[in-house]
Amino acid sequence: MANTTAKLHVVYGDGTLGLHGEGFQYIFSYERGGLESLKRDGKEWLYRVPKPTFWRATTDNDRGNRFSEKSAMWLGADLFSPCTDIEVAVNGQVITLPIAPENNRYSDHETADKVTIRFTYTTTTVPATTMTVSYTVDATGEIRVQAHFNGQAGLPELPALGIRFSMPTAAQGFTYRGLSGETYPDRMAGGQPGDYQVTGLPVTPYMVPQECGMHMATERATVTRAITLNNADPDTEPFSLTFKQAGTPFNFSCLPYTAEELENATHIEELPLLRRTVFTVFGAVRGVGGIDSWGADVEAKYHLPADRDYDFEFVIAGTQD
Amino acid sequence: MQADLKWLDDPQTYRVNQLPAHSDHHYYRTVAEMQAQQSSFVQSLDGTWQFAFAPTPQERPVGFEQPDADHQNFGDIQVPGHIELAGYGQLHYTNTLYPWEGKLYRRPAYTLGDTTGMPGMFSAGPDNTVGAYLKTFTLSPKLRDHRVVIQFDGVEEAMYLWLNGHFVGYAEDSFSQSEFDLTPYLQTGENLLAVEVFKRSTAAFLEDQDFFRFSGIFRSVRLVAQPTVHVNDLTIRANVLDDLTTGDFNLTLALNDDAGQSGAQIKTILHAADRVLLNQTVPAQAEVTIQHVPVPNVHLWDHHDPYLYQLQVEVLDAEGHLLEVVPYDVGFRRIELKDKVMCLNGHRLILNGVNRHEWDAKRGRSVTVADMQYDLQVFKQHHINAVRTCHYPDQIDWYYLCDRNGIYMMAENNLETHGTWQKMGAVEPSDNVPGSLPQWRGAVVDRARSNYQAFKNHPAVLFWSLGNESYAGDDIAAMDRYYHEHDETRLTHYEGVCRNRAYEDQISDMESMMYDPPKVIREYLDNDPQKPFVNCEYMHDMGNSLGGMNSYTDLIDQYPMYQGGFIWDYIDQALLINDEVTGQPVLRYGGDFDDRHSDYEFSGDGLLFADRTPKPALQEVSYYYGKYDR
Repeated sequence: MANTTAKLHVVYGDGTLGLHGEGFQYIFSYERGGLESLKRDGKEWLYRVPKPTFWRATTDNDRGNRFSEKSAMWLGADLFSPCTDIEVAVNGQVITLPIAPENNRYSDHETADKVTIRFTYTTTTVPATTMTVSYTVDATGEIRVQAHFNGQAGLPELPALGIRFSMPTAAQGFTYRGLSGETYPDRMAGGQPGDYQVTGLPVTPYMVPQECGMHMATERATVTRAITLNNADPDTEPFSLTFKQAGTPFNFSCLPYTAEELENATHIEELPLLRRTVFTVFGAVRGVGGIDSWGADVEAKYHLPADRDYDFEFVIAGTQD
Repeated sequence: MQADLKWLDDPQTYRVNQLPAHSDHHYYRTVAEMQAQQSSFVQSLDGTWQFAFAPTPQERPVGFEQPDADHQNFGDIQVPGHIELAGYGQLHYTNTLYPWEGKLYRRPAYTLGDTTGMPGMFSAGPDNTVGAYLKTFTLSPKLRDHRVVIQFDGVEEAMYLWLNGHFVGYAEDSFSQSEFDLTPYLQTGENLLAVEVFKRSTAAFLEDQDFFRFSGIFRSVRLVAQPTVHVNDLTIRANVLDDLTTGDFNLTLALNDDAGQSGAQIKTILHAADRVLLNQTVPAQAEVTIQHVPVPNVHLWDHHDPYLYQLQVEVLDAEGHLLEVVPYDVGFRRIELKDKVMCLNGHRLILNGVNRHEWDAKRGRSVTVADMQYDLQVFKQHHINAVRTCHYPDQIDWYYLCDRNGIYMMAENNLETHGTWQKMGAVEPSDNVPGSLPQWRGAVVDRARSNYQAFKNHPAVLFWSLGNESYAGDDIAAMDRYYHEHDETRLTHYEGVCRNRAYEDQISDMESMMYDPPKVIREYLDNDPQKPFVNCEYMHDMGNSLGGMNSYTDLIDQYPMYQGGFIWDYIDQALLINDEVTGQPVLRYGGDFDDRHSDYEFSGDGLLFADRTPKPALQEVSYYYGKYDR
């Protein structure tokens, strides 16, 4: 059982908000605009702050039907959309953003039942829109991540919509409870429900690297790494982090590369040395299509129009999960 | 007769001194040989040959076929194999645009009002690389004192043959067997075989398939000896009567013209595992026919139960000694149109098919039997019940394997002229071949003939396909006519007639389209369709694709005349090459060899990667094909 008497420790820093508890230490950066550190049992899980993702590496069908040309501004948005607003709520009450000097009124022993920090990202599209990502942390270390995309008329269809976590080192592999193989909204009937293990971080070796590795309708996924970048940590015992559904199943991919890295390569051997883990939770996935590769669009029901709102959420399991 | 380089330029010269196409049967000296499938009439010539490469016809080693010629400069090459993968000649992938695009201006002979025949187009073609092959052999004792023919299973794209300095013959059609009689020129002791292979000829216009453009002797070569009385051809008609329970066996054997004077006898046995249905001995004649042998309670052949009867034809000499024995597997099945629906053995046929190029990442189109066996395992595991031999006849072994594994075959002859009628996506057939040009008709009908004659006895073959993406005219109509005149038991297929519907009454028993969206297929099926519908190519599985397959399979439940189709395609075409940077083996595609114009990754449309590992999409195919695996 969870220790219900434990409190979440809050550090109202000058540039960050720290949330600590038994076996976890999270640091949210106001300057970086996101979760800068997700440390569990002494192991860091983040290389850079997670950001909304709007791009997928162009598939052959995307190229053929000129989807990527039409939606190209989402590539810029994927790379460059800044954090433009931050809001903090403690025990459900929004507080004045606790940056200096506001944070002078706090102490070195602040606690809370739960804290929510919400980052708003403004897309570099024309017209612009916003996406908010809220992290709600409780004393168990569980992080509930809720995302909201504000639809905006005049924007091209979305290639993808999700939150991308870049982890410092390459995973040994991952397990998940969901569908076999790789699935997309228009290609998931053949996916068999079950528990699956993937060794390493395979990139599906399409002749031209492209979007790959999607897992639809997932209940939970656990990433396992063995090494860190911490020079003082020679330990090589595997350690894991679990993502869980919050209500409805989620979609994810776990790859060693970002969409942009995949986009740039004309062959798999051009991809960089395998260094990181890019774990992305997708709130919405565009279909892959299949009628032809020189013009036929993905079927309409598998498009992601950008003039409507999207909401999705998931949970990063706490230390006692 | 002397070899003439002008044949390369002449669409009306496509076979010189070739033996007529015939059934692909094997024959053996003894029953024991037959059981071991090792014929002592056969001497393989596969292996190491001597080889010299020339970048143009003008630089080729003229006279190399003469035994006294200087062969000091010859290196080695492995047969079968592609010249380009042996390190001679540039690898090149292009789709519809001809391989000389942007380098040479060419229009096919006799198009656009031409009356010159375009002399020199290929015989002096600066892109026409030449491979000069030499093979020394001594006839094995078992072949001596017989008529000996040589079989080339595949040579791309044009070949001249000499034996011991004597010109033997000329062949085009890269994917059909070419056979020549060597008997007049054989000598005791060592013989010198010389083959001159040209990368281009007028056949290049007919072989514009979307693939790597190779050349060379890429399939097996063998000598075969024939006994004094020999079954040159057999035509099996294993029909099924209307009651669908009685087989109707018919057989026509073509023997040597003088077989009637030999005193030989022909013993024909048809048997199932446990019973003999026919055992008849008749005097040999040039033609021997057996008609309407009833087979009560016939065990039908289909995908789930590919039951085969065994035919055994024995040729016995006047003393009753066995001269040869010819085995052939016989499958009784009935393919027909009933109420405009294609039915197999009385049941509506659902094609859960794939297009399959012959491909091996290391060997190109020179595939192995192991590749074929692997492919059949994939078919079986994923409920694939049909294959289109896109866009040429495959190796002979594949047809036998499909018989045994119950794979429905759309047997396509070697023809694609895509670059002569579709220009930058638009239908523009002003220089189309074969069109209705009489000068090109013989060559394309010959391709149909070679396909029909070789594979006519395979129960797996349900359809004859006239080729791919070659538009339509009198010449393709003549191909359709050829198939129908020779074979009442199968249906014809050709998609290209949809580009020129003036011919739709003359060409193709089915409405075949490629890549029509489901709603366009519905429109056809909702508007008084005259022919059943088949996707000869659909679900273009390029890269990460194959979404929305249910929009096609739903049509199976909704329209009886929708009969499925063939996914494009089975395997990526990419080559396993050592990376110039790391030295590691990597898969490379068009444009990776400095080859231009190229269509780059467009050949990567398979359900399998080029190294035969499955793409993630395969499980989706397995699901939907499994759902309709009836």
